[in-house]
Amino acid sequence: MVTMAAEGVDLFIPKVYDIVWSLIILLIVAAFFYKFFLPKFQSIFDERAAKIEGGIAKAEQAQKDADEAKKKYQAQLSTARVEASKIRDDARAEASHIIADARSRAETEAAQITANAQRSLESQQQKAMVSLKGEVGTLATSLAEKILGSELKDSAVQSDMIDQMISDMEQGEDK
Amino acid sequence: MVDVFAAGAATLAEASMEMPSIEDFLPPEILFEGTPFAINRIIFVRILATIIMLLVLGITAARAKLIPGRWQSAVEWVIDFVKNDIVYQVMGEVRGKRYVPMITTVFLTLLVFNLCGEIPGMNIAASATITLPLVFAMWCFVQYWIAGIREKGLGHFLRDELFPKGVPWPIYILLSPIQLLELLVIRPFSLTIRLFANMVSGHLILALCLSATQYFLIDVVNKAMMPFGVVTFAAGLFMYLFEVLVACLQAYIFAILTTAYINMSYPEID
Repeated sequence: MVTMAAEGVDLFIPKVYDIVWSLIILLIVAAFFYKFFLPKFQSIFDERAAKIEGGIAKAEQAQKDADEAKKKYQAQLSTARVEASKIRDDARAEASHIIADARSRAETEAAQITANAQRSLESQQQKAMVSLKGEVGTLATSLAEKILGSELKDSAVQSDMIDQMISDMEQGEDK
Repeated sequence: MVDVFAAGAATLAEASMEMPSIEDFLPPEILFEGTPFAINRIIFVRILATIIMLLVLGITAARAKLIPGRWQSAVEWVIDFVKNDIVYQVMGEVRGKRYVPMITTVFLTLLVFNLCGEIPGMNIAASATITLPLVFAMWCFVQYWIAGIREKGLGHFLRDELFPKGVPWPIYILLSPIQLLELLVIRPFSLTIRLFANMVSGHLILALCLSATQYFLIDVVNKAMMPFGVVTFAAGLFMYLFEVLVACLQAYIFAILTTAYINMSYPEID
């Protein structure tokens, strides 16, 4: 136990060769990490980051292109839509124009037909009146002869009455 | 602590149980005896661990691809962890950039060296002499002095450290020597001792559990003692896993404290 205590102190006394080997190994290990290991991994990390960033940039570019194409397409679509609606409006206006035209033409034609009918009706009426006047005179005379023939023996009265009747008729006709 | 274990183990073993001891940390020189380049078991483990680490990480870095495989992803995760969760978290990106290689070196080297204690055949941490943690602590020491002098100038740096603002002047009589001691001795030596003591005690406990298992399960004459061997084996398994955790944790603590000490040399408001 006594010798052990002495040795226990020895534990804490650095030996020259131990210092030498600790330092040599520390220098080798430090040189390895400083000069090779970490720079190598750092370059790998940087390269990876650059790749990832490049990929992201590429994706962003593609997204932008796609957005632009979409915008262009939409613009084209909306102009097409405007054009279509304009064409539709024009067609509708033309159609209503045509209808209005047709209607007015039909109306004039109808009016003309009505007027013609009116005129022919009037002439027919006149013709009928003229022929009626002539027929009424002969009809009346013959009728009067039949009625009066038996009663009117006196020729003088007869001629007076006939004259009287004719003048009456003429007067009525003139009125 | 060592004595306690030695004494406790001595009562357990009547005769031939092989006890781990601090001799394990003072192994005989096996190559170039007596020269400054003498190599003992621990230094041999250290050199071997260094070669393996440099080969594995070197090949990984040489073959590093833009699209990482599983192993490369794991290595990159560790690099990112040191950079973001240790350096940048403590000192921010602007200050931290300069120290990323240093802290990466400290963390990865100590991690590998600490884990050697749990690798069968090596069985001792490559950082399990006082010197190796001390060398790393001295690196930290140099860096925080350089940072303080560069950022504030020597006078300003010492004034800020030894005479902190907002303290009534009589307190300085007590505080300034403590601060000086802290700056010169406590910081590097606490780093050193913390790591070294953890490696020593971890090795002793683990070796004790396993050698007790060997003794009680195989070597012991009285077979009634065998169930005790099962218990020590279970304890050994638990301690093994625990020591893996400690190895990682101590590398992390060493790295984050180094970062914090350097950061303390910088002016407070940036």
